[in-house]
Amino acid sequence: MVDLISIATKAIFVENILLSFFLGMCSFLACSKKIETAMGLGMAVIFVLGVTTPINWLINHYLLRDGALAWLGYPNVNLSFLQFICYIATIAAMVQLVEMVMDKFAPALYQSLGIFLPLIAVNCAILGTSLFMGTKGYDFTESTVFGLSSGVGWLMAIVAMAAIRTKLQYSNIPLGLRGLGITMLITGLMALGFMSFIGINL
Amino acid sequence: MKFIRKILDKHEHHFLKGGKFERFYPLWEAQDTFLFTSNHVTKQGPHVRDSLDSKRLMSIVVLALVPCVLFGAYNTGLQEAWAHQEPTGDWFGLFWRGMITMLPIIVVSYAAGGFWELIFAVVRKHEINEGFLVTGLLFPLVCPPSIPLWQVAVGVSFGVVIGKEIFGGTGMNILNPALTARAFLYFSYPAQISGDKVWILAQPDGISGATPLNVAAMTANGGDAVATLHSFSNGTDLTYGFWDMFWGTIPGSLGETSAAACLIGALILIITGVGSWRVIVSVLGGSWITAALLNLVAGGSLPGILSLPPHYHLAMGGLMFAAVYMATDPVSAARTTKGMYIYGFLIGALTILIRLWNPAYPEGAMLAILFMNVFAPLIDHYVVNANIKRRMKRVAS
Repeated sequence: MVDLISIATKAIFVENILLSFFLGMCSFLACSKKIETAMGLGMAVIFVLGVTTPINWLINHYLLRDGALAWLGYPNVNLSFLQFICYIATIAAMVQLVEMVMDKFAPALYQSLGIFLPLIAVNCAILGTSLFMGTKGYDFTESTVFGLSSGVGWLMAIVAMAAIRTKLQYSNIPLGLRGLGITMLITGLMALGFMSFIGINL
Repeated sequence: MKFIRKILDKHEHHFLKGGKFERFYPLWEAQDTFLFTSNHVTKQGPHVRDSLDSKRLMSIVVLALVPCVLFGAYNTGLQEAWAHQEPTGDWFGLFWRGMITMLPIIVVSYAAGGFWELIFAVVRKHEINEGFLVTGLLFPLVCPPSIPLWQVAVGVSFGVVIGKEIFGGTGMNILNPALTARAFLYFSYPAQISGDKVWILAQPDGISGATPLNVAAMTANGGDAVATLHSFSNGTDLTYGFWDMFWGTIPGSLGETSAAACLIGALILIITGVGSWRVIVSVLGGSWITAALLNLVAGGSLPGILSLPPHYHLAMGGLMFAAVYMATDPVSAARTTKGMYIYGFLIGALTILIRLWNPAYPEGAMLAILFMNVFAPLIDHYVVNANIKRRMKRVAS
């Protein structure tokens, strides 16, 4: 249990998927203008991460990794070169599911997210989490917790960014920096704030 | 006075539209309003009548910083004399000795920061904001005495340009510029701004300049941090009792060692209404409660620093300085009343957690405030939304 809590804290604060690895930037930059939209997208990312990470773990564990097919009687087969394509397929399927559910139950949010909802499929944060889960050697439960808390970390970052950008409407930013320029700089400054956790060893 | 006014009026037309120094109007305006009350009035629309403008607000903060500057100079000299085992009776001599270290750092900070402020004011045609006077003084006070002057210039340039000017100047930034500058230096030049060699000027070999936080962090697992502090000795007159830390005769950054001087500053800020007492109280309360709770679990195989009592936490390191002068920055703090309590409490709690659990940083106040600066707009948003919801309910029923 302590182990799981430490994985969660680490994924949310210490190794925030967005502010320390800078993964999932494109939807972060594009959908952080309004807090409600950012919240919706963040929830969708948490859901997709929470589902795809364990599924990908199962796929990797029972089908792809070296010797995974021993239960079928092929202990010498190594399919790990299929890792990327299989992970992406799972992610795309899950995103499709989220899209259909959201279209049905939250059409307003579906409209405001626009193209960025299907683009979660190519959000680096999602694939990144699946790959990190492998390199960190987590088991099934740990992967689920890791996936969910990576999503929570991403949600925190995008919602904070949306609040900052709302506040920035009163600022007098130099013309050339308005829009993406200042957003990039703020992302850097936010990462500076998150540096407070770097080095914590749980 | 009239004489000066006359000279100013005689030359003013050069700086107005069409004059030969038109471009430098911001510079003119800055010195003019610095010397005399501005006679500009709002031309149209409803406006608030108040004798307090941002210029006066910032001057009061600078005034509140004076106790820290004066004591900081004395302490810098005192630490140097102690480290060299010299007599320390002549307090004015010590003060002067510290001033010789401190003054160039402050001057460089003002000059470099003022340079950028002026360039942005001239090019972007806005007035020179006095907010810079605060940033330019806060920043040197949180630097170690041995910092190279070029680093002061680089740091304050980063703080003023990236921390403030790219957002449009005073009042529009999201992070505290002085802390942004400090954090920038901290991560860029860790060797010159942390460790136990930087806090005393011209430190002789073999004399440890470890700050109380460094010392407390060295407590053995399950040990008693207070005992470790009290038994610390580097062979000179330097001791780490509670009152030493409260009055501030300990090594540390230039102006933040004395909790007493910070409290005088806090009094000035609170009485004049410039600093929010809500933020100050909740930062101190947050750290007190967190430290007290962690005292309960201390012992066993847990790090010994957990046993440090709350009042020690408040007296050592930069927590008091940060709570009084940094967290209360009205621009980067939360602005709603409830938001201020949440913001302050989390800063306090986070500071203690970083101090106790993050081996990378002995002090957590700076990063805790930067972290909460990032979330302050979000806190405000939810406080305002909750308020709207509550009132909507009242209207509906």
